[in-house]
Amino acid sequence: MKNAPLTRVTGTLLMTAFLVVTLAFAVQGTFETRAQIASTFSHQAQIQQAQIELEELLRLQIDEENSLRGYSLTRDPFYIAQYRQAAAGYDATQASITKMLSDLQLSDVVKLLDSYGKLQTQWRAEVAAPILRNPRNRLVELDKRNKLFSDYETRTVAAIRMALAGEGSALLESLQSQLDRSSYLRAFWVLGFGVLAILFNAYGSRLNRELEQERTITEILQQAFRSESVPLPHCEVGSAYVSATNHLAVGGDVFDVYRLSSTQALILIADVSGKGVDAAVLTAFIKFMIRAIALRQRDPAAILSEFNLAFSRAVGNPYLFVSMFVGVLDTSTLRLKYGSAGHDCAYLRDRGGVRQLAVTGPVLGVMEEPFSTETIDLEPGDTLVLATDGLTEVRNRAGKQLLGRGAMELIARLGPHAQQLADEVIEHVRELGGNRLRDDLAVVAIRVLDTERGRA
Amino acid sequence: MRKAVPMLLVLWIAAALPALADCRVHRGDRVVLYSTTDDPSVFIWDSRARLRAYYAASFDEAQAMLPHALVVDPGTHADVISCVPGYVESPLFSQPDDAVGVAITSGPQRGVIRWVLGSDVRTMPPAHR
Repeated sequence: MKNAPLTRVTGTLLMTAFLVVTLAFAVQGTFETRAQIASTFSHQAQIQQAQIELEELLRLQIDEENSLRGYSLTRDPFYIAQYRQAAAGYDATQASITKMLSDLQLSDVVKLLDSYGKLQTQWRAEVAAPILRNPRNRLVELDKRNKLFSDYETRTVAAIRMALAGEGSALLESLQSQLDRSSYLRAFWVLGFGVLAILFNAYGSRLNRELEQERTITEILQQAFRSESVPLPHCEVGSAYVSATNHLAVGGDVFDVYRLSSTQALILIADVSGKGVDAAVLTAFIKFMIRAIALRQRDPAAILSEFNLAFSRAVGNPYLFVSMFVGVLDTSTLRLKYGSAGHDCAYLRDRGGVRQLAVTGPVLGVMEEPFSTETIDLEPGDTLVLATDGLTEVRNRAGKQLLGRGAMELIARLGPHAQQLADEVIEHVRELGGNRLRDDLAVVAIRVLDTERGRA
Repeated sequence: MRKAVPMLLVLWIAAALPALADCRVHRGDRVVLYSTTDDPSVFIWDSRARLRAYYAASFDEAQAMLPHALVVDPGTHADVISCVPGYVESPLFSQPDDAVGVAITSGPQRGVIRWVLGSDVRTMPPAHR
């Protein structure tokens, strides 16, 4: 299921590609069929024209023979003119048919036509010429040769007729066969597409169901992992969170503003090495464990020490560490006690400007060293700004990091209200990074309100 | 009735078979000769084998056979002496043609006995005999 969206996208792309290919194949098939039919009809028309001209050729041949016969019987020169006219017509028609058949690449028929022409030429030389020279010369031997030529010309014409008719039939059969092949191929293709579409649809429905289940589980888990902040007396609390994993509202950063009692609040911000869902699981562990420890003891150094011990034992991964800021704020006295386990993104904005809160111990999960607690008395108007390293390590387009100094300059010029400040930090980091975040970023801002009760 | 129909069919086929194998003319028939090719005059051959060879020969082979043939004008009369059904074959014939032995009874070749192609022979109507 991990790759289900990828599978789905790939499948959709493949199906779309297949659909496009199928449509192109169908359209191309339509044009191809049209071209085949047009070509066949054109060839058929040319063959029919050749057949018509062949009959004309035969008529001219008989005309030649009859003119010669007429001259032989009457000696009238009129028949000589008729004979010559028919002979010229025969030669022209034969040339025309030869060209037409050559264009159609019917070489066998062209050979037969050539034989026919040679027979006629031979007849002119061996039969017609002696009679034209002397009409009285009509001997029995000439009659026999005339009959021989006539028989063979008749046979050759019959052979040409059969060959042309055969070509016509072969053309139609070839067209029929091409159309059949094309139709079957396209039918199978479309059928294949239909079957694939049905299978894909079934698979897609299954994926949808599984994705829906996964989404429900994710939403429930996100609810558990989400960082939280609650309103505190005499303070404004603002927070913002943005994950480097775009479509998830969870990541490796966590913050928590949790009321331990009516006057005391736990303030937590931590950054787990790593990001994504795996890191988010750890953040849930951190959030609830720190709450549990803080409910028993309020000293941040003790909370960090106890957590460090438990974390090392529970996680057992030497490459996993956590930077953490834990503060306990007394809202009646506005006294903040805090411990910082390698978490340097903690700032106080007061009348004097912005200053970084000192780190009081190493990151958690690496070594068992003591942590210390620092105390700050907040004044009305002071703002505690806690963030994760997504703020200081953000790079501008030139590749330069913001770092602690840049972060302090940024905080100094942001809006006065806590939520406004948190939102502006996120907005600024987005702008600086070109709308792309390389790391998760959590921001918590707590501003002490200017009120009499704050000093009570 | 059930037996009569097949029997009639057998009788009809039996009657038709000899007719299919039979000549179109018979001994003693008076006939007129003319050809349906472009030249209506008719070759008459000195042997039926030569007649058959002519229709299977190339042009050059046929030329060499011409001394064995006479040519008679269309309309020449003849009497049928014998007939061999389906003896002459050619790729251009839809079915084999008969070889007909004839004695010429008119024209310059009167009295000559030769062989002629079956389709060049037409039976004369009784009024013209």
